[in-house]
Amino acid sequence: MTMPTMRSRTAIADSAPRRWPAVLPLLGRALAGLWLFALLVVLWWVLSAGSTSPYFPPLSTIVSELGKLWVFHDVRVDLVPSLEHLAVGYVLAGVIAIAIATLFWRVRTARDSLSPLVYFLYVLPAPALLPAFIVLFGIGGSMKIAIIGFAALWPVLFNAIDGMQSIDPVKLDTARSLGMSHRQTLRWVVLPGAAPQIAAGLRNSLQVAILLMVVSEMVASTSGIGYFILNAQQSFESVDMWTGIIVLGIVGSALNFIFVAAERVVLRWYYGERALQTT
Amino acid sequence: MVLRRAGTPDDLDTASGEPCAEPVLSVRGLRHEYPVRAGAPKVAVDDMTFDVARGEFMCVVGPSGAGKTTLLRCLAGLTAPSRGEVLLDGRPLRGASERVGVVFQDYSRSLLPWMSVERNIALPLRVRRVSAAEQRRTVREMLALVGLDGVEGQYPWQLSGGMQQRVAIARALAYRPELLFMDEPYASVDAQTRGELEDVIQDIHQRLGVTVFFVTHDIDEAVYLADRVIVLSRSPAVIREVVAVELPRPRTQLETKAAPAFVALRKEVFGLITGVT
Amino acid sequence: MSAVSAPRRVPRRLRAPALRSGLSGIGGVLVVLAIWQALSAAGTLPADSFPSMWSVVKAVVSDLGTASGWRSIGSTMAGWASGFAIGAVAAVLVGMGIGLSAFAFRSTILVIEFMKTIPVIAILPLAMLEFGGTLKMEYTIVAFGVFWPLVIQVVYGVRAMDPVVRDTAEALRVTGLRRFALIVVPSAAPFIATGLRIAAGVALILTIIAELIGGAAGLGRDMLVAEDSGTSALARLYALIVITGLLGIVISIAFRAAERRFLRWHERFRTIEGTVA
Repeated sequence: MTMPTMRSRTAIADSAPRRWPAVLPLLGRALAGLWLFALLVVLWWVLSAGSTSPYFPPLSTIVSELGKLWVFHDVRVDLVPSLEHLAVGYVLAGVIAIAIATLFWRVRTARDSLSPLVYFLYVLPAPALLPAFIVLFGIGGSMKIAIIGFAALWPVLFNAIDGMQSIDPVKLDTARSLGMSHRQTLRWVVLPGAAPQIAAGLRNSLQVAILLMVVSEMVASTSGIGYFILNAQQSFESVDMWTGIIVLGIVGSALNFIFVAAERVVLRWYYGERALQTT
Repeated sequence: MVLRRAGTPDDLDTASGEPCAEPVLSVRGLRHEYPVRAGAPKVAVDDMTFDVARGEFMCVVGPSGAGKTTLLRCLAGLTAPSRGEVLLDGRPLRGASERVGVVFQDYSRSLLPWMSVERNIALPLRVRRVSAAEQRRTVREMLALVGLDGVEGQYPWQLSGGMQQRVAIARALAYRPELLFMDEPYASVDAQTRGELEDVIQDIHQRLGVTVFFVTHDIDEAVYLADRVIVLSRSPAVIREVVAVELPRPRTQLETKAAPAFVALRKEVFGLITGVT
Repeated sequence: MSAVSAPRRVPRRLRAPALRSGLSGIGGVLVVLAIWQALSAAGTLPADSFPSMWSVVKAVVSDLGTASGWRSIGSTMAGWASGFAIGAVAAVLVGMGIGLSAFAFRSTILVIEFMKTIPVIAILPLAMLEFGGTLKMEYTIVAFGVFWPLVIQVVYGVRAMDPVVRDTAEALRVTGLRRFALIVVPSAAPFIATGLRIAAGVALILTIIAELIGGAAGLGRDMLVAEDSGTSALARLYALIVITGLLGIVISIAFRAAERRFLRWHERFRTIEGTVA
């Protein structure tokens, strides 16, 4: 059903004026996707225009406050430290997780004996550990990095272990027949082969890390974007609160977008192979 | 045109798997079984004893599920047999060897999709710490050998099935093994491509003089390619017969497969497999 | 835009019996617990911030023996279940609608993908403003967090119908409601099942957050209370963490078991024993 449509679309493109052959279908697709988005924003703007409700102030006010507060001042005070904690915790977690997964791949008893614990910690909701971490580390930056890192570790570890376990046995046979050592097999066969699943784990981890970044600032902190939003709510500054929500939304989607873009580049081979398989 | 006879030295009984002087591969009493969930272990192959002479093209043919792949895995060092021994140039084989190359049936799963064709073929050379320049040279040489040129930069999954299997062959030969094991390598390609690939391996065999151990379920293919054909029985597989194929080389798809000698041999092997004499 | 987790075929090698790895797992847990206790007893782990293993075990047992302990568990489960149910039902209905209409898909997909990336936590203060520390706040947050990723999973599940299946249905003239019930739903079922399992975990995380920060009744709030109570309630704090973890395991096992039961027919769960020889 999709094939005939594709053919007719290119037929149309061929007959269109020579100036816009490639741009036209792309533009059409972008428009189809964005109209609803634009409509919703406009609706929000219009419907909240004269609002006096404490919960839903006018969008126009929010936007102007956003410019004033965030772009010039609070970005440095609140957002950047939050993102720093996120970056450190996330990267540390990823590196340590892959290192542990590699160890588990080499030493079978380690994997067998520690798997239940890994599973328990993976399934345990990380925010539940927040009070315990506060008791252990206090309420400073190190606590935040610790809990972000701790939470981000398990999805990556779990997926890395699973991915490395699921390597096609034909590839492992090939590695042996070519005379590869354990380290070479790991480097050229196992880790690249597990990369798509490790990437899925990292994507999951990113969401969890962002979540913990905000939550840790809401529970015990005097700075950070989480604190800002909660504080605004508690002081009934709903406009400020909404600016925080919007900024957080933008940051969350931006980070996600960057991740997906990076993944597409690093795993070019994976997406290329999959694209050919579906035809 | 060289007339090739089964086995090379003079003191050899030509008809069957009798021991010949300086065989490159010697198999004695090979038996492999694997455990099943309930009951006695299943015997895949039993009492395998034969030699493969240097430079020989040996085919193994048998009914499906007979244990052909198990046999090949034991000989290539990928599986340790339950009993018996495998000698490579007189020395016992322990695990995968430098001097052995393997081509698997499922090329799409054997070739690494995250590496280009060039890097796939160069892989065994990187393992052996060959210089980059030497790697490049060898890759080009191997691609020319299998009749593929200019695909170095592409990824395996961008190529057709036949081309992928050629890359796999090129990779297996890159480090110049003496013995090449091929496990039903052409089972996953279409009939036309199969014919082309048969001629590729025949050509390589003639040019490099590499000993080939070729497992297949296709009787025509076995008779077309082989110097000798080992016919296996149904599972548990034992050697039913070793048939000598004395067709002149080089063989061609058109002429050889129409020759009366070929037809007779084919009938003989077919009869052995199906149990109809 | 985003790669959706489709059910993956996992090749597992037959190795040593599962019993050995199971025992190894139990052994691992016991060893870690023993080390914990040893470190606590030796004073390496400061007693005022890290309770001993044994005191935590005792606290878990005693908590599960009290009515208030179970009441908290019940509150958490109520928040989890109501939020999950609302979010899941909405996501499946909306997702199916969007998946079946090409126009709806193209229009809404960007909005949905964007909404999925917004941290749900952002609207927690808003919900707290509106509803205070109540069950309603809890299930609003949970439903909101469950909805967006799940609806994407459902949409892609509906759209990922195997073209061969789709063509077969068309050739057999299966249309309308019958097509929906017999073709579309089973095709999408594995994706939906995976999505539900993941959503169940997400729902638990959000439930705890809603209690921890929002103040709704349940295990999260109990943890906050225990933390504020100082060192005397430290063991209880850790006991609550353990109980929450066990809850997560129970939910995970329940969903995997249900998946296996309802998707028995799917290739992922087919075993060799289940196929006819």
